[in-house]
This record gives sequence, C-alpha cells and structure tokens, in this order.
Amino acid sequence: MVEFKPISYEAVTVGEEFRSDDFLIKPEDIDTYAYAVDDHNPWYFEDSPFGGKIAHPTLLGNQALLMRHSRYLLNAGLHAKMQFEFLEPLRAGMRVRTHGKVLDKYERRERHYMVTQFETRDEETGTVLVRGQFTQMIFPQSGVHRETTNR
Amino acid sequence: MKPQIVRYPEVGGELPPLTKTIVQRQIDCYSGVRPHSIHTDPEWARKKGFRAPLVQAMMSTAYVSQLMMQFAGEGFIRGGRMSVSFIKPVFVDETLTVRGRVKSRDPDGDSTRVTVEVWCENQDGVKTMVGTASGIEANDDRASKK
Repeated sequence: MVEFKPISYEAVTVGEEFRSDDFLIKPEDIDTYAYAVDDHNPWYFEDSPFGGKIAHPTLLGNQALLMRHSRYLLNAGLHAKMQFEFLEPLRAGMRVRTHGKVLDKYERRERHYMVTQFETRDEETGTVLVRGQFTQMIFPQSGVHRETTNR
Repeated sequence: MKPQIVRYPEVGGELPPLTKTIVQRQIDCYSGVRPHSIHTDPEWARKKGFRAPLVQAMMSTAYVSQLMMQFAGEGFIRGGRMSVSFIKPVFVDETLTVRGRVKSRDPDGDSTRVTVEVWCENQDGVKTMVGTASGIEANDDRASKK
C-alpha cells in the first residue's frame, strides 16, 4: 500500500528512487499525442525507415515527469529544465516503464527545485529507449511563489 | 520506406520555423483532464496565480522534436539529444513559434552530430524556452540539401 504524502523540499531526499507503472504504448496513444502536439509525421502512422510505424520520440516524457505522483501529493509544480537522449525508436505494442532517481535538490532565489534522472526501458527486452533528466520547481504548500504569478 | 535524408543547414543557418497555436483541448489530451490542475482547471490555475491554464512545458519539447525531425529524422530517433530550459509560462490559446539555428557540426563516429540552438517565442516575441538539440547526420551520398 502506497502512503501518499504532500511533496515539499524537506520531504524529497537526494538518492530517492522512483518507478513508474508499466505502460503499454497503444496506437490510440500515438494518435492522441499527434493531435495534442499537432505533429502527424507519416513515420508515426504509415511507415518509417526503421521498418513499420514508430512513435513520437517524446511520447513518454510524461511517464518520466509524473513518477513522483506515485508517492507524493502535488498541489502544483513548474517544469524548469528537460534533457532527453533518444536511443531507440518507440513503437505501439511496447510495454515500457521508467525508473528515476533524485540527483539533487537546491534553493535558488527563494525557490526550491529537484533534479531527477530517468531511464525508460522496454519491459520485455530490457532495452533502454530514452533517458535524461529534468528539473522541477517544488511549490510551497502555502501557495505560489510571488514571482511566478501572471507573467 | 526509404530513408529520407535531408541535411541540416550549414552552421549559422536557420531551420524552417514551426508555428503552433495551442487550444485547451490539445492541452487536455496532452496532460489529461483533472481537477486541481494548472493545465486543465482554469479556476485552479487562477487560484495558483495564473491568469489562464498553462500549456504543459513538456509540449515545447515535442515541438523541438518535430523541428529536428525535418532533417535526418533517423538520426534524431536514434541518437537525438535535447537540453532545454523553460523560462516563461505559455498560456492556453497563445501562439508559439519554434525556431532553430545550427550551432555546430562535430564528428560523431562515422557520422556528424549537428547541434542546433533552439527556442520558442510567443506571439509577442517573448522567448518561453531556450536550449539545444542535436541529431546525427549520416555522411553518405544519399543526403540532399534542403
């Protein structure tokens, strides 16, 4: 049983590990993503040089980003930085899972941040498909940082 | 399908920009609709200090990916890299222009890694995301200039 707790700068620990749920990439996920980002490259719907259809390389970004939701309650957050390295094509029919680890947390200009490294693998073959790291601002429970409002 | 290999511009050259006007339904599809979300719950967004729902920052990485895929797409799908910072929020119904300028071309094994300075700017010309992206360009005769 997972016990969810409110996220805070104090609660997050460097070295803490995350693990997403597994996710089956479905054709409808690729279709929905294409609509969301308005990118209908034929490689995603017809054929590609990799043999058959593939998926948008950034399709699984949210699986990585939302890992901390499997442990924490978040009232809001802002994404500050993102790094990707695309290693192998994603395809419908793959069952994938992302693992992550908190690399750092820091305070800058009265704002709190956490840095998480991640790696997404094909669950069946163990092949690493995408890896990278992201930096997210941790909002205080009391409200928002003054500087973030209505910019 | 035969690979479509189109060379990136030379160093200093700009990639053809992409323009995206982002509506709420696209944000809903990307982020998933839920209450208490700054992306899909207008009231919650206001409560958190934003005048309207925010476009999820990660959507800009998809636009950069699309920008890069116009050139040597294989070398972005397998070997592509991206490192970006989100410096200003983007609100629903805003229009982003995604731009890129080739920064360097460096040997990478038998190929060339092309690094592109990328950025997004809103309809007022304000940069919302800055960073770099790179892809592998094959060194062979199949490549053509775009």
